[in-house]
Amino acid sequence: MEKGHGHGNSYGMVIDLDKCTGCGTCMVACAAENNLAVRPDESDKQRSITWMRLYKVTNGKEFPHTEVCYFPRPCMQCDHHTPCVSVCPATATKMDYHTGIVSQIYTRCIGCRYCIAACPYHARTFNWWDAYFPKGKGLERYLSPEVSPRMRGVVEKCTFCHHRLMRAKNNAYAEERRELEEGEYITACTEACPAQAITFGDLKNPEHKVSELVKSRYAFRLLEKLGTEPKVYYLSTKDWVRRMADNYLPGEFKPIAKVKLG
Amino acid sequence: MDSALFPEGVKRCSPKVFLLWTLPWLCLLAWGGLSAFLCLYKGLNQTNMNDYFAFAVWIVFDLAVIALGAGAFFTGFLTYIIGKKELKDILNAAVIIGFICYSGAIAMLGIDIGQPIRGWFIFWHVNVHSMLAEVSFCITCYLGVLAIEYLPLILENRQLDKVKELRLFGHNLHGIMAVFAATGTFLSFFHQGSLGGMYGVMYARPFAFREGFYIWPWTFFLFILSAIAAGPAFTILCTKLAEKITRKKLVPEKAFQTLAKISGWLLALYMVLKITDTVNWIYGVVPRAGLAFMDFYREGPYGVWLVVAEIGIFGIIPAIILLVPKARQHEGWLITGCLLNCTGIVINRFVFTVVSLAVPVMPFDKFVSYLPTWQEWGIAFAVIGYGFLLFSLSYRYLPVFPRERELNPLSE
Amino acid sequence: MELNRRNFIKFLVGGAAGIQLTPLPWKLTDDIAIWTQNWPWVPVPPVGEFIHEKSICTLCPGGCGIEVRKVDDRAVKIEGRTDYPVNPGGICPVGMGGLQLQYNESIRFTRPMKRVGPRGSGVFIDISWDEALTMLAGRISGLREKAMPEALAAVDGNPARSTLSLMIERLVKAVGSPNYVRIPCAEDTYEMANFLMQGTLGPMAYDLENADYVLSFGSGLLEGWGAPGRVINAWGLWHENPAKKRVKIVQVESRASSTASKADRWIAAKPGTEAALALGLCHVIIKDGLYDSEFVNECSFGFDDFSSAGGKDRAGFKTMVLKKYSPAKVAEITGVASDDIVSLARDFAGAKAPVAICGKGKGSLSGSLYEFMAVNSLNAITGRINKPGGILVHEPIPLSSLPEIDFDDIASQGLEKPRFDAAGSTKYPFSNSLINNLAAAINRSPESPVDTLLVFAANPVHTLPDGGAFRKALKKIPFIVSFSPFRDETAYMADLILPDHTYLEKTDDIVWPAGLQYPLFGLSLPVLEPVYNTRNAADVILKLAKQIGNSVESAFPWKRFEEVLKERAKGLYSSGAGLVDYDGTNPVWKRLKEGTGPGPDYASFEEMWKKIVSGGLWYRLEHTYKNWDNLFETPSGKFEFFSSKIELAVNAYAEQAGIDWALRDMGLAGKGDDVFMPHYEETASDADRSTFPLMMLPFEIINLTSTWVPNPPFLNKALFDTQLRGDESFVEINPETAAKYNVGQGDRIIIKSPEGEVRVRANLFEGAMPGVLFMPLGFGHSAYDEFSKGKGVNPNDIIHAGKDPLSGYPVWWNTPVKIIKV
Repeated sequence: MEKGHGHGNSYGMVIDLDKCTGCGTCMVACAAENNLAVRPDESDKQRSITWMRLYKVTNGKEFPHTEVCYFPRPCMQCDHHTPCVSVCPATATKMDYHTGIVSQIYTRCIGCRYCIAACPYHARTFNWWDAYFPKGKGLERYLSPEVSPRMRGVVEKCTFCHHRLMRAKNNAYAEERRELEEGEYITACTEACPAQAITFGDLKNPEHKVSELVKSRYAFRLLEKLGTEPKVYYLSTKDWVRRMADNYLPGEFKPIAKVKLG
Repeated sequence: MDSALFPEGVKRCSPKVFLLWTLPWLCLLAWGGLSAFLCLYKGLNQTNMNDYFAFAVWIVFDLAVIALGAGAFFTGFLTYIIGKKELKDILNAAVIIGFICYSGAIAMLGIDIGQPIRGWFIFWHVNVHSMLAEVSFCITCYLGVLAIEYLPLILENRQLDKVKELRLFGHNLHGIMAVFAATGTFLSFFHQGSLGGMYGVMYARPFAFREGFYIWPWTFFLFILSAIAAGPAFTILCTKLAEKITRKKLVPEKAFQTLAKISGWLLALYMVLKITDTVNWIYGVVPRAGLAFMDFYREGPYGVWLVVAEIGIFGIIPAIILLVPKARQHEGWLITGCLLNCTGIVINRFVFTVVSLAVPVMPFDKFVSYLPTWQEWGIAFAVIGYGFLLFSLSYRYLPVFPRERELNPLSE
Repeated sequence: MELNRRNFIKFLVGGAAGIQLTPLPWKLTDDIAIWTQNWPWVPVPPVGEFIHEKSICTLCPGGCGIEVRKVDDRAVKIEGRTDYPVNPGGICPVGMGGLQLQYNESIRFTRPMKRVGPRGSGVFIDISWDEALTMLAGRISGLREKAMPEALAAVDGNPARSTLSLMIERLVKAVGSPNYVRIPCAEDTYEMANFLMQGTLGPMAYDLENADYVLSFGSGLLEGWGAPGRVINAWGLWHENPAKKRVKIVQVESRASSTASKADRWIAAKPGTEAALALGLCHVIIKDGLYDSEFVNECSFGFDDFSSAGGKDRAGFKTMVLKKYSPAKVAEITGVASDDIVSLARDFAGAKAPVAICGKGKGSLSGSLYEFMAVNSLNAITGRINKPGGILVHEPIPLSSLPEIDFDDIASQGLEKPRFDAAGSTKYPFSNSLINNLAAAINRSPESPVDTLLVFAANPVHTLPDGGAFRKALKKIPFIVSFSPFRDETAYMADLILPDHTYLEKTDDIVWPAGLQYPLFGLSLPVLEPVYNTRNAADVILKLAKQIGNSVESAFPWKRFEEVLKERAKGLYSSGAGLVDYDGTNPVWKRLKEGTGPGPDYASFEEMWKKIVSGGLWYRLEHTYKNWDNLFETPSGKFEFFSSKIELAVNAYAEQAGIDWALRDMGLAGKGDDVFMPHYEETASDADRSTFPLMMLPFEIINLTSTWVPNPPFLNKALFDTQLRGDESFVEINPETAAKYNVGQGDRIIIKSPEGEVRVRANLFEGAMPGVLFMPLGFGHSAYDEFSKGKGVNPNDIIHAGKDPLSGYPVWWNTPVKIIKV
């Protein structure tokens, strides 16, 4: 699976939606790992900061044929002409061609939000407020030193837990290894998922499970037609779920198999 | 009291009346000032913007005033480069309007970004691929050009004119104004275009995305064209408004007619291209994204009526009015035509800013609505207040309209 | 030069212009930009050395393995352990967000306190531990001096079988009170059903990972049922290879929950009719002859008709089921199409390793006895008891029991008094505790029979589905002591606060994680130094006992809780079996089928204990399958479809005033021999269905706690805006039902029940059964901090709780309501 530019790795993720139970552990793990700010009101989803966000979809059928499915949505780390990277005026977000990871430099971001406008996945969120750490509550005690908390007025997004890559690399270098083993670097959500619905690895490495999984007939990506080339893939055996992932003109969607339940 | 500052040979109202006239604009400025303070001190949570509406009313205002302010560069271009000498009589007004629009827009942008203190990172850490970087560079530079264009006029103030050095400086500036007009034209061409390009390049937003020529999406050219079509119309409108308020003829009719005719032609050309672009988009970008034209207008208040309004009522109709000599020679029709023309461009900028972001791209995403807060309105309206104030002050103390004395001989 | 105005201005302008030529403006511009990058109010987490500490999570009875990442002495992240057999790496969102419970001063008690403000106002002042203990010991000693030790009561929400629970019960008993009351949960009902049909008291143990057909009667497998880290992992395993999917999951539930939606098949039975459905399936299986005749013929009692002592002809299970639970009849009761019932029964019986499981939602609320018995019967007739992939029957974990208490006279006399909740009396012969009855007893009497109430790991004011009855009762209790580490609603009602450590700061144990198929003893260890002046409740009990003196003191001969745990662990050692090492490479559920497992992997007790303390577990692999001959400890020695124990109990109660009265008083609507067997009874309701035409059913979601544990704020991010928006929570309602009441998406409505009303917004959801309103549990806190206080409403406030026949547990799934549009 030759993808991306140049050499190096192309880290990607495969999320099995049949396994995903919508429990939200990935969201919580992500928030805890990356020091996401929590405000007293997180119910305004248009202003709530999430790097990994769950979308709930239903098949729209009447009772008792209704079905719910969840789309966990991290940053897609778009590979082709990354929509957000190309528009950022201050070079505060970059795609690293050696890893395929789209970074975000908070101290450089000026908060123009053009990247938010350009991203169709809503993977980027803006710090509308100062980080909420009231005096005397002591919430800041759980903050991890690996990721710096963000200031007001900047955009943030999922970085595929880039600090974990650094951590893994440091460990490898200490053992005088240049290459990482599969599983040595995985994101916090991958690690946390109790259903093991998330697989993470190097899409360019044929040995890695992800490069096998993306070849599955059930594999698809979100809004594939736009040509953003996300490095996050999904799996679902259900046609109605796969159909939810992109816009289709009438007759355009090709069901894989007639899904039969029960 | 302040009559010593008035241009020579013209009549101005009493300071009291003038103060009374500026009062509402000062109020708007105060409202804007309070809003700006809140937004800068407490952050952008004071607005109703969110991660779905990352751009909102301020950006609509920005784009609108920048487009409408295009009268400045375009009139300068016509006057100095093409040689339409009759436009000299309206050029000062155009420059002031341009200056107001651009300085207002930049001030508004300064509040709109989350980290205004490090806004200059755009220049320091510039990403040359970003249309917004291009916009920022060009409008900042162009504001400088506008200031330079504005400066000789200020120096013509009766009192400043008495200072020999300033007079000489102003005179020399006048002499090389053609250079600045050319520079302004160049810069404006690119930032008007880049503003369009900003949306056109968002290829993951099928509503805004346009294919294009080389690195420029078609919106790049459409925005330039629409700006130079509407800019002169806005100059006409503002001048006409000044004439109505001062109850004086300030600019010879010929200047209006020349501008109106050019505006009409450009608008007509713009309409042809806009319609072509829209059709091209409907049969190109839209179906490739798996969507149908009507999919964009399903939810929320943004129906297909916006297309009818933008292209029909506020596009084709004003083009016809401004193109038909009989119609544009009639003042009522001229004003109507210009008004429709300007409204059309505001709608266009609104559609590209707000509707682009309001239309969900992911099939399971939902439409969310947005209404600005009073703080957002405050800052937007402050630009209007600022405009009225600066124009009024300029008119009162500077010889904005060179033919004013001639057209309005003092009776005594 | 003369200093006049003109020159001054010149100077200023010149100066200002001059400065522009210096580096100053540039330097300043840069400096303030740097300032924005280092705003002092944005916290900078201190760096330090990473340390990883292993423990188990005791926030729920699941007891998943966790690893806490620390930077020096500060915990910064909780992750799942891969070297713990319960959960191979994953944990639930609550456990993942646990640090927000640890490091949030506004939801924690930081030191002992006593109440000074009015009850419920939450106004306390700090006191010392000595003063607090003296106060409580004095109060209890006072009760003993007045010869009314039974006026001491304890409410305990710690996981069943835990050593801490044992200590609490022991304290109450040693003082001389029978009034140790537990927060009811599904496992209580399950154990009762097992006791009646199998005669065993082993915990719930489903071999889910080895099953190939899981029929769940409302168990929220994906909502947090059992040990979520284990069950959701099993879910992942079941879906490992879509091309060769082997396992089928069927969910019986009235709402399209995550489990129902994600299951292979969703059977939408009306709430409370699950027993009928299970019996309907039995009907088809029996009629089609698909049942396990070996088990039924050899190892069961009461399947076929039989003659009891005295030659009386009795109808057996088969006759009853065939007569009363035909698919057509069951379809009428449950709303499930009879074709579906038939196909479901055939699928179930035709599967290689099917299992039917019960326990509503997360299982943290009580269930219905006859329903659980009916589900058990389904497993029994298909011979799924003690077979791989089925229900496993075990002996309890061989922990040593604590030494017998040498009761003094006061204690002995107190213990002879009846329990206030009447649990275990002739009326409720099989129940251990009935907190709903306790509340009723207090509310009924002019003066509360309970003088001093100790509350451990429980927040009954918020979590009991009782329409606020317990909250009312608390107001009458003269003295309430809370051991909660958290400022919860019940603690707000307390007079004395003796705050426990959080789960990360204390030693605790999970004896058999909920639902696990093999015996496992998990030890949670303090991975963090206590950040506040709190104490392990078990250690407080030891101190308290010392201060009370007499037989109470002698009942607690230990200095520290760790000694108690170590003493209990001796039983593990002397059982001569069990393992303490687990490296995560070969899951226990795979090895379980190997039959007799390896011998113990430790040579001495000390070695075993050392390993338990470092690894946190002891587990056993040996299991004898299908030992039906000697498995059952019922009076008949067989699996009893017809429960001799129920018959005995009912007959004993009937001695007072006849059988009809007895059945009525025990809440039984069934007649004749039916009541001794699993059967379906329509849930009794005294409500006027014309006033309250709709039903309200609370439901649990995995990313919102509904137990005594506060909700970590991170989880608020994972709630949808159709569940909570601002301070308003939503009720799920079928669009068809909503249309009837002219209710649109997001509309504000009032839900009114006989117990009260709540104001919510409507979320129109096709997956909600028409006529039923579904409200999430866990919202509506009046305690805690801004992250949960005042957010949404608590359905428990309006629940019109009935009583489950025979068991006496609260029936919370049958609240009649009406809606009023605001």
